[in-house]
Amino acid sequence: MPKFDHYIIIGNGPAGNSAAEVLRMHDDQARVSIISDEGFPYYYRHMLCEFISGKKKEDALKVKPASDYKEKNIRMRLGQRVERIEPETKTLYLKHMEKVKFTRLILATGASPHVVPSLSRFEKHFSFMSKYSDALKVKPLLSPARKVAILGGDLVSLKFAKMLSAMKKEVTFFLYKDCFYPFELTADMASAIEKHFSGKKIKTFADIFPSRIESKGKAFEIETENGENLTVDIIFCFMGMRPNINFIQGSGIDTERGVLVDEHLKTNVSDIYACGDCAQIYNPELKNYWISVGWENAGIQGETAALNLLGESKVIKPSQKKILDVEGLKVNTSWWKEL
Amino acid sequence: MKEKKMTVSKGGKLSAGKKREGNVFFSEDPRDFGYAKENIPCQDACPAHTNIPGYIRSIYEKHYGRAYEMNRMVNILPGVLGRICSRPCELSCRHGESDLGTSVNICHLKRSCADLKPSWHMIKEEFYAPSGKTVGIIGAGPAGLAAAHELAILGHNVTLYEAMDKPGGMLMYGIPAFRLPRDILNLEINNILRMGIDLKTGVNVGRDITLTELIDVHDAVLSTVGCQEPFNLDLPGEDLDGVYSGLDFVIRVNQGERIPVGKKVAVIGGGYTAIDCARLAIRLGAEEVSVNLRKTETFMRIDEHEKHEAKTEKIKINGLVAPFQINGTDGKVTSITFERTRLEFTKDGKGRNAVSIPDSAFAAPVDTVILAVGQTPDTGFTGGKIELNGKRIKTKAGSYETGIKRFYAAGDCVTGATNVITAIAEGRHAAHEIDAVFVGKKRITETIRTETASQTDRSRNDDFIKASVMPTLEVTKRLYALTGEVEQGYDDKIAGEESKRCYLCNLRYFIDTSQCIYCSACIDVAPRDCIKITRAVEIKKDGAYGELLSATDWSEGLAIVIDNKRCIRCGKCYEVCPMHCIHIEKVELIEQKLEA
Repeated sequence: MPKFDHYIIIGNGPAGNSAAEVLRMHDDQARVSIISDEGFPYYYRHMLCEFISGKKKEDALKVKPASDYKEKNIRMRLGQRVERIEPETKTLYLKHMEKVKFTRLILATGASPHVVPSLSRFEKHFSFMSKYSDALKVKPLLSPARKVAILGGDLVSLKFAKMLSAMKKEVTFFLYKDCFYPFELTADMASAIEKHFSGKKIKTFADIFPSRIESKGKAFEIETENGENLTVDIIFCFMGMRPNINFIQGSGIDTERGVLVDEHLKTNVSDIYACGDCAQIYNPELKNYWISVGWENAGIQGETAALNLLGESKVIKPSQKKILDVEGLKVNTSWWKEL
Repeated sequence: MKEKKMTVSKGGKLSAGKKREGNVFFSEDPRDFGYAKENIPCQDACPAHTNIPGYIRSIYEKHYGRAYEMNRMVNILPGVLGRICSRPCELSCRHGESDLGTSVNICHLKRSCADLKPSWHMIKEEFYAPSGKTVGIIGAGPAGLAAAHELAILGHNVTLYEAMDKPGGMLMYGIPAFRLPRDILNLEINNILRMGIDLKTGVNVGRDITLTELIDVHDAVLSTVGCQEPFNLDLPGEDLDGVYSGLDFVIRVNQGERIPVGKKVAVIGGGYTAIDCARLAIRLGAEEVSVNLRKTETFMRIDEHEKHEAKTEKIKINGLVAPFQINGTDGKVTSITFERTRLEFTKDGKGRNAVSIPDSAFAAPVDTVILAVGQTPDTGFTGGKIELNGKRIKTKAGSYETGIKRFYAAGDCVTGATNVITAIAEGRHAAHEIDAVFVGKKRITETIRTETASQTDRSRNDDFIKASVMPTLEVTKRLYALTGEVEQGYDDKIAGEESKRCYLCNLRYFIDTSQCIYCSACIDVAPRDCIKITRAVEIKKDGAYGELLSATDWSEGLAIVIDNKRCIRCGKCYEVCPMHCIHIEKVELIEQKLEA
């Protein structure tokens, strides 16, 4: 390959970082760049809850030091948002109006919090916990807050609710069973969660949802479908994640829920690959597209996408099943979610 | 590529094709038409060429009646289209360009001027003298109503023949009342009919009266019968109980029938009718409703607002599945078998096809299947005497006249199923052609109106206002009834806020190069690359100006030019120019009526 190759990875999570390392390992000549709209270096997302509760310091979140990128000659471009991809000219258009050329591209843009359409009009009132910037925003709000509402949920929301309860917050939990992530919540699981929460004095609404949310000074007023009114200091939303693919629309790269890729993680456009939470991967055995979640899967996919970009023909396979503990119920999951 | 070298202009002399009335110029110069097409993208994208920046500015000024009438000039159903338009304008809105945020909610604003105008609002019509000519129009849908209105103001006697009990066509029968309340529709239809149009309902041309008889009694006959015949997928099991065609399903529900749909409903198709069927099924008591697509959501022929509302009502949209067969027991549907699909490039490499994946079939249990994959025209009323283009009526190239003398056709029966605003535009254009035949000249023509303008009070902060969300009925309330309107409309305050977002692309900012001192202060304050040091301008085949060709070196630059295709009319250059050599004009594509 010519020495002026420029491999770009959009996304600075486990998929993107794993891809960058593999690219550098196998090609010491090409330019390798990671572009991320987040301003914070690669971090452990699952530690954000502990960060805002004060159990972890900022440095503990960082996966690796900046010197690591320097040593490996991987250029890190943080806080830069890609607005548009033009595959014909192999150009990325960044928000700050810069155009960046690539020879091959890996999309590892991850996913963002989902808000069910019926609540989207209230979205401006919600706080999220999916990014470091969310945590920074939430941290100063949380310590003075006495009453907290959680709309959700997903596995993080359960962990978060318990953490808030331990912090002596008065927690109200609206349980959206069909938004559970990464799998559908069964009736058994829902009642187990309710039972568990009642033991922790977390008020749970399982079938009644907010019909109106308004800000009242620094607080928020929630009116439920049955006319009950609650006032809370902060509202968190945990309704699963959706792949970050909006900026890809109109580029000619096929998307459905995520970026559509074959079993080699190739998109329909040559020299463009996708991996991690943003990818919707064809599985020849299942004859269906699936999406995977989780740190470990993302890393494996990043590695596979990078090797295939370099000319190999590796097939991505679902990772082994894992057993998760949802409030005492053991749940088998392969971490592959059917869409 | 043909180029024109930039020259220093001093203005003053009018080119051919332009005439001046005070501070206003009217032009039929292709360069001016080309300018409007490229620079007012919303108006160009609207099939009816609605003056969108013009009416949005009137909304900002709280002249709702004026805004409504600006719509009515080319679209006689603003209150209707403000609810159900497919909004091609919003796809072209400059505010929706990738680095500028999201499009202005043009359609919601259109509705707001219909909702917020006072009850004493004055309808404006300009009538020509009676001609004594008569025109029969077959079909009182949007194309027929638009043609009838236009022919009536042009002085002709119009009779509308409608097979159903009420006028409105697909608007009355093919769209659910929760999207289009019938009082709004009836009000706007009555505003058309009260101009002396003779409406005959329950008349089925071809059965109650022949086309030949109609042509004998009228000076011209126009077919605007639309598309009423459902496409057939020929799936095994289509004849089972519980399988409906989409349009038939909507019509029956709109006529008051409560079709039992069971708990699980699968809709096949990705257009407005498919989504309407799904939303009706939820209101009829279904618990799980899915809309199933061969391709993906990206390829759906509906706007994002409709998708959002459907999802709000918990309708699932499943992409990459193709119906294979419908299964049943004792003559009743029990399940539908799908094959999974994947996308492949079309042969020309430009489009995408959905291709079934072998051995991927799976069955989904359902109680009802609704096939909503489009419609074609029913041309049986012509008695087979007319030349067809596939299943559509064939017209002469560039004309609405068919192979039969004095018989014209327009709208979906010619073009295939499109959308309401296209049907309205087509109906009007056909009326203009018929009128030109009667009178011997075109009395309504498009022209470019240019007027000297001044800097508006739009602030740069307005560019960062977020799009106003349409207030909607709570989900729990909307599902009880088939008719409760979901979208509640903007109030005065929200409409005002949303109207501020419009860049007013009908304003043209230009530099008088005879006074420019090339200080480049305007370039320094420009928020995007909208002011260019230019060496030449491309000349298109039709004579219109194309792209500005930037100079790569100062020595090549012949003029500093504002590229109005990139300009967001922020006015910063106007404010900073030390020579006051930046000027503003209002440029509008309008219809001009010929006066004696």
